[in-house]
Amino acid sequence: MDIFFQQLANGLTIGSIFALVALGYTMVYGVMRLINFAHGDMVAASAFVGLTIYTQVMGQATSLVAVVAIFFLAAVVMAGVGIILERLAYRPLREAPRLSAVVSALGASLMIQNGIMLIWGPQMRIFPELIPNISWEINGVVISLIQVLILTLSLALMVALYLFVEKTRMGAAIRASAIDQDAARLMGINVNKIIAIIFIIGSSLGAVGGLFIGLYYRGITFNMGWQYGLYAFIAAILGGIGNIPGAMLGGMLLGLFQAFIAGYVSSTWADAFTFILLILILIVRPTGLLGERVAEKV
Amino acid sequence: MKRTIRNMLLTLCAISMMAGLSWADTLKVGVQAPITGSYANEGQGIENGVRLMAEQINAKGGVMGKQIEVIACDDQGTAMAAAICAKDLVNKGVSMVVGSYTSTCAEAAQKTYFKAGVLQTSDGTADSLTEHGYWTFLRNSFPNSAEAAFAASYMVNVKKYQRIAVISDFSSYAAGLAEATVAEIKKAGGNVVTYAKIKAGAQNFTPVLTNIKSKKPDVIFFAGYYSDGGQLRSQQKALKINADFIGGDANDNPDFVKLAGSNAEGAFIINVPSPDVLPYPIAKTFIADYQKKFGSMPPSIWGLMNIDGMRAIIHAMEHNQSFDTKKAADYLHNMDKPLDGITGQISFAADGNRKGGAYVVKRITADGSYSNEYAQ
Repeated sequence: MDIFFQQLANGLTIGSIFALVALGYTMVYGVMRLINFAHGDMVAASAFVGLTIYTQVMGQATSLVAVVAIFFLAAVVMAGVGIILERLAYRPLREAPRLSAVVSALGASLMIQNGIMLIWGPQMRIFPELIPNISWEINGVVISLIQVLILTLSLALMVALYLFVEKTRMGAAIRASAIDQDAARLMGINVNKIIAIIFIIGSSLGAVGGLFIGLYYRGITFNMGWQYGLYAFIAAILGGIGNIPGAMLGGMLLGLFQAFIAGYVSSTWADAFTFILLILILIVRPTGLLGERVAEKV
Repeated sequence: MKRTIRNMLLTLCAISMMAGLSWADTLKVGVQAPITGSYANEGQGIENGVRLMAEQINAKGGVMGKQIEVIACDDQGTAMAAAICAKDLVNKGVSMVVGSYTSTCAEAAQKTYFKAGVLQTSDGTADSLTEHGYWTFLRNSFPNSAEAAFAASYMVNVKKYQRIAVISDFSSYAAGLAEATVAEIKKAGGNVVTYAKIKAGAQNFTPVLTNIKSKKPDVIFFAGYYSDGGQLRSQQKALKINADFIGGDANDNPDFVKLAGSNAEGAFIINVPSPDVLPYPIAKTFIADYQKKFGSMPPSIWGLMNIDGMRAIIHAMEHNQSFDTKKAADYLHNMDKPLDGITGQISFAADGNRKGGAYVVKRITADGSYSNEYAQ
């Protein structure tokens, strides 16, 4: 039984990283009907930005304040990159056929990936051990401090995002833009501003996810964004793309699914089963577990 | 009629192009290495080393009056890119290729070099590399089977482990080493409790390690590369699996220690001796030159092994007073007296394997350096 709970803990940790990244996909899709393929590479970039902030800005300080500052600064930088990305790669194509925007997204993905390689080099970069190496063993199940941090911080961010979208005026404007952009404009909502906000939130959450990857696994490479982006994208579809609680649920479920498949079946097959799951979801329930709002499909 | 004339013209063009290549007054040396990607650290070490060696030979007047021209190709550590690199280097008219770092990439490129009569020297340790009967292939390291026998006897007879867990990835090198080690352990009467495979670069190895934990091993033997090995070690300690960790030769890279961080201490690595302890005078001067030029130590022994392969081929050409690759290979396969190399004496068996080779077990200390634990 302790194996089961250990895999559960492992799966929830990686699942919450997937969920944070998946939120970026799902929010952009919700409002713009665009799959932002560059998001995974933004996540990778944020890990490199965080590492640079640690070595250049923080002077390699390892205090709690420094760690919080790294998260904050990396999120701010990536939010800026997100706005630039939207402005340059997506806004000019807002009225173009959807395929053009998708191609533009793929192009942006390649540009960011190669940009990371040019700036930080092609070799693996290694994060310092910023989070102390503490862990607890409860009935044979080992949980480390960093796992607890990842899980609680991710959940806190997701709850905050949910409350923001559901309870504030700005959130109502986001929801309105997601349902019908023209009607939202008629109601006096500045849709361009809403889309900019979506990119700020999505990129900052992705930045937190990227830093978690760096802190948890320590080794980061310029091309890792593709893998995490793909998993997060599957998580978003699993939960129902365009649906914010869906992305959270999808991320967690995918993390658990992978941990149990790798644990009980074979790690060889973890990826294959993940894609089989994606295909099954698309066949049986194309709108995902929590379902997308389909009102606009009329 | 028109067609014949066109064909003749085309043939003429082709002949003059080929002639242009063979009349060029440089000796073209190809480097096929993972210059980007997960193993970039090693790939760049190989490229830097070859360029430095070429520079030094050129400064002394080149090879029989010809200057060496280095042409590098990045195989990214993937078989697909390696096959493209092989074609590219052959088209550019190289007469020898140094690399690649991984067995998978060396193997994907082998046949192309063989068909073109281009000599290839690689540190790839997969036994299969020398089993195709290609006279063009010269292994500058020692094969997995030798390491497997050493690792198995160390674990079973020296450390007397009772429950051995083996992990590998899916590459030619790692799977080959793991399977050979498992076979050798069984032959020596040892007990392999599990043999698990991971996907290289997957980062999250906790599901596999959690399973291994339930088998209660007293040692984990990892055949695979340092970029995964460091994370495996780190995650093993995080899961509080109280077993020794022994990494195969490809874990011998400073990034292993950096990735595992404070968890690196106490891990063992099996390999031939490290570059910094190489006692040979030629090694000391070359490593000092390398440090002066690139500001760091060579990342591992592998780059130096490859350079020894390159030096051996050039030595053979100079001995024969001919750039003919077949003659050079014939000489190398039947050397009467080994060449003094950076990594020890170098000579080859008829199948292209490097002769000799002794392994050591290194223990990673608290400050991340190696201490010698056991020597063959």
